[in-house]
Amino acid sequence: MEPLMSEMPETLQNNDHELVARTQGGDPTAFDDLVVRYSPRLYGLIYHMTSNHEDTNDLLQDVFAKAYRSITNFRGKSSFYTWMHSIAVNMTINFLKKRNRRQHPSLNDPDSGIENDPDFIAAASTIDPRNEISIHELQKKLNAAMQKLSHEHRVVVTMFDIQGMHHAEIAKILRVSEGTVRSRLFYAHKHLQISLHEFRKTFNAN
Amino acid sequence: MSHEPMHRIIRLKRYEQPPEGYHENFLKEFHRRQRAELLKPSISTLLTERISAIFSDLRVPAFAYAGAAALAILSGVVIMRLTPSSQAPGAYSVSYSTYPVTIQKMQPVSLRVEPANQLPNLPSQLFPPSFLLQARPASHESPLSF
Repeated sequence: MEPLMSEMPETLQNNDHELVARTQGGDPTAFDDLVVRYSPRLYGLIYHMTSNHEDTNDLLQDVFAKAYRSITNFRGKSSFYTWMHSIAVNMTINFLKKRNRRQHPSLNDPDSGIENDPDFIAAASTIDPRNEISIHELQKKLNAAMQKLSHEHRVVVTMFDIQGMHHAEIAKILRVSEGTVRSRLFYAHKHLQISLHEFRKTFNAN
Repeated sequence: MSHEPMHRIIRLKRYEQPPEGYHENFLKEFHRRQRAELLKPSISTLLTERISAIFSDLRVPAFAYAGAAALAILSGVVIMRLTPSSQAPGAYSVSYSTYPVTIQKMQPVSLRVEPANQLPNLPSQLFPPSFLLQARPASHESPLSF
């Protein structure tokens, strides 16, 4: 099973060094470029962990604020890409722990706009072309199934299955071994198979 | 066990995106929050301001300082009066002890100096004869007495 191609090419990661150096030198516009570059990707990471757009927006703002405050301490031992993702993952997990203690998480309703997304419709239609599956229902079930996972399992599923990151990248961000990442993925998929068994049957039928 | 079907289902979530124009406005929102953060005073600053405001609102009358000084002197005198009186004359007491040790009668340990050759096991240079009188008491007077 191959992950999707990583959306952050190596050349872009190399350009990060220059932007980071300029930010550390006191140029705030360089950090703006980093925000523009990383916000779509980190939005996805946080959103698929929280399943709530408002929480994601607030968290993402906090993540960049923290990164900006700490960027002088960034020594380049890891890539800026890994560093940013580590901040986002840690802050999101801390947020989820607090949210679970505080109240039952309120998930967003499925995106209404996604129904008109041709890519999504095309992808969803491949699930079972004979039976019309409600896209809303599928989204709801997916989100609910994701929220049933532990934070550690959810983050690896998000990074590997949704964001298409490689095991090695995930291992670096989470500071665990690649074996741990594979093991967490295995158990997460096992749990998801139970939650989404009805969709799995239709997949296997194709 | 193949996880490919599961992988394909979960992959559909990547189509969930924020509202249109979100990322364009994100940077503006980031700048707005940064400016708001700069204007927001820190907790320590707020605490200092509150405390100084409380004290500035308090109106201390002029006689309060004289009253406070008189109270301090009076307290000192009372504490000194409550201190126990000195020991009987001629007796030494060890001060700052929970149970005062009183030596009623003093006697030298020995007045006779033994010749060095009669104490073969003890090096006399190291242990010269000593007398209790050589010892100095910690204090000749009871504490806090004038």
